[in-house]
Amino acid sequence: MACSQYLTSIQEYVDGTLGPIRRAELEQHLAGCEACRTMATDLERLRESASSLGDVRPPDGAWLQIAGRLRQEGRIHDVSRSRTRLPRLAWAAMAAGLVIAAGGGLFVLRPGTRATTAPTAAQTSTAAPPAAGNAPDAKSVESVQNELAAAQTQYETAITHLEQIAKANQASLDPQTARTLQKNLAITDMAIADSSAAVHAEPTSVAAREALFDALRQKVSLLQDTISLINEMRKGNNAGAAQVVNKS
Amino acid sequence: MATSKVTVHPSAAGPANSGRAAEMALVERCRKGELGAFEELYRAHAGRLYSLAWRMLGNPTDAEDLLQEIFLSAHRKLDSFRGDSALGTWLYRLGMNQILDHLRSRAARAGQLTDGMDDAAVLEDAMAHRLDAAAIDRVDLERAIAQLPDGCRAAFVLHDVEGLEHREVAVVLGVAEGTSKSQVHKARLRLRVLLGRK
Repeated sequence: MACSQYLTSIQEYVDGTLGPIRRAELEQHLAGCEACRTMATDLERLRESASSLGDVRPPDGAWLQIAGRLRQEGRIHDVSRSRTRLPRLAWAAMAAGLVIAAGGGLFVLRPGTRATTAPTAAQTSTAAPPAAGNAPDAKSVESVQNELAAAQTQYETAITHLEQIAKANQASLDPQTARTLQKNLAITDMAIADSSAAVHAEPTSVAAREALFDALRQKVSLLQDTISLINEMRKGNNAGAAQVVNKS
Repeated sequence: MATSKVTVHPSAAGPANSGRAAEMALVERCRKGELGAFEELYRAHAGRLYSLAWRMLGNPTDAEDLLQEIFLSAHRKLDSFRGDSALGTWLYRLGMNQILDHLRSRAARAGQLTDGMDDAAVLEDAMAHRLDAAAIDRVDLERAIAQLPDGCRAAFVLHDVEGLEHREVAVVLGVAEGTSKSQVHKARLRLRVLLGRK
């Protein structure tokens, strides 16, 4: 058993605050007392182990809860709409191409394409993380994630549908306009791939998820504009086509 | 537990000037309400604050709740961040104050905070135990720290884990320096019992 009269000295020795005289006295004692030596060694090991404890990662849901509450309190604005835009120069080049392309046959797309293919505003707001409806105390983190996955699927379905329409009518576009559109679509595809990878790496990251939805929304918008453009060019409506380009 | 507001800096050094400029830019984006910027700030500092809260409070559920309050409070107070100290230091101070407030209210609910450990019994018990030669397992140590009484655990975490001096621990906890020493020493003896064998 360690000697109780040396215990305070042992603790201060471990703290590194023991004065030189008492330190020398303690070291002399430790040399001949196995129990006190073991006590000193144990306490030193405890201190060393404690000081080397690393950070513990918080649960994944913690950030979603914080983001949800920030949004509930109105202290976060949705930057996704204004974050990334397709290059204006690319659209300007396409506008120049319109003059050459106009004059083709009339083609009218079914009305309501936009409304039926893209997720509605209400659906989007439910999907966009963290939306007003994802109050942490009202829904579990898991249910919010499920909603996000469902919204993503909805976007992807809309994109597939719009791509089919655009591809089927692509011949109406002049080669330069078609190339510009392909370039813009490639940019959005790259953004979708990047943000998908970010979401995969950090499934609970609201920023990553917003970036993905941003990219998906952008692609839907681009495809919708492409179809409108094809439509106006089929009608021979130069002014309408220019309006589509200028709006984008 | 008459704790004071934290004025001491954490042991981690702040960033250099270029890092400070980047921090101010990040804070500015957060002030404008950019969620991605605040998430960046959260990812950089949440681990440290969550670990501190968990160890000081002794349980992960309270720590997670408090982590949310710390970051929500940080978001509200970002306007007051002038960059005089590193962002990590500012957050650490903010977090520590909230943790101490939590411990204070917990102590108030439970009556006067005492370590609940009889000195003689602790000493006798600790002397009868010893640690195994094998390295101390991190998970076992965390679990044992969580079993310490609040006052004792707080002093131990601040001194042995966070690396504060006893005089700094005394200021943070609002106790005498001698009390800090006594609490930390008792915590070590108790840990020797919890992690050792007879």
